[in-house]
Amino acid sequence: MHSIGDLLRWLEDSAFAVSITQSDWAFPALETVHVLALSLVLGTVCVVDLRLLGWASRQRPYRELAREVLPWTWIAFCFSVASGGLMFITQAVEYYENVAFRLKMTLLLLAGLNMAIFELFTVRDAAKWGQGMSASWRAKLAGALSLSLWVAIVFFGRRIGFTMMPE
Amino acid sequence: MSMLEVAQWLSQTPVSVAIQSALWLIPLLQTIHILAIAMVISSVFMIDLRIWRMVSLEPMADTAHRFVPWLWAGLILLAGSGLTLIVGEPKRSLPNPVFQIKMLLLLVAIAATCAFQLSLRRNSAIWDDAAGRRLMQLLAVGTLVLWCAIAVASRWIAYIKVG
Repeated sequence: MHSIGDLLRWLEDSAFAVSITQSDWAFPALETVHVLALSLVLGTVCVVDLRLLGWASRQRPYRELAREVLPWTWIAFCFSVASGGLMFITQAVEYYENVAFRLKMTLLLLAGLNMAIFELFTVRDAAKWGQGMSASWRAKLAGALSLSLWVAIVFFGRRIGFTMMPE
Repeated sequence: MSMLEVAQWLSQTPVSVAIQSALWLIPLLQTIHILAIAMVISSVFMIDLRIWRMVSLEPMADTAHRFVPWLWAGLILLAGSGLTLIVGEPKRSLPNPVFQIKMLLLLVAIAATCAFQLSLRRNSAIWDDAAGRRLMQLLAVGTLVLWCAIAVASRWIAYIKVG
């Protein structure tokens, strides 16, 4: 019978994961890609969220701004997940058991949920959030939650680095 | 007096010891540093999207007005958190050649930002019209690569042991 533990150990022991660990430059390179990618995720999310909150870019209609910016958020997010995933497999068991890692993953799920609710329901009114116009209170709440969650994700991401035993 | 001697002296000052002993301070400073990196690189990216004409073509001056303040706010946060991190761990940074390279690249990047702002103030029209567009777009790619190089150098500091 296979458990999560077996899967994690299999990942960690795989030739691919071991090659990353043994390489002098692979892990630092992954960390660098991860920081740059998450910076772009956070920054682009911030542009959109601040528009929702009415604190910046008020002269741009929401839908236009979101359409221009969010594709880049997704591209940056893919790079974050890819680099993060490759780092994860090098110490899969330890990361999985790390409290900061679990908190970060939970927060990511919550951020995703917040976004899903926004895109499925709240954004129906977006036509009204034109040039100089404020978004609805639900949209502002989504924006505020999004910002808070992503800052917390960054904080716990850094915590992982401090609470993992070096390989 | 060599950088290593300066770092040695600095590491023994009360301020440096205080920073190192406050367990929460260095993680907090590093988090601020990452958030500030996000502000800087995203601002550069948003301005670059406009230069590459991949977003709606509002006047260049308007795009700059929206994002340049964030760029500078991010740089100030980077300087503040960075300076505190240096004082807290001087031997890790000051005599380290990778750190020195990073500082040099940073100076160039800041100079490029100032040049961009000056150019806009003198003649914003050249940024909005078609002539010379290829040059502007190349410069935009160059500066983004520069900021990424700074990030690469930053990660590499930890891997070069000095002194």
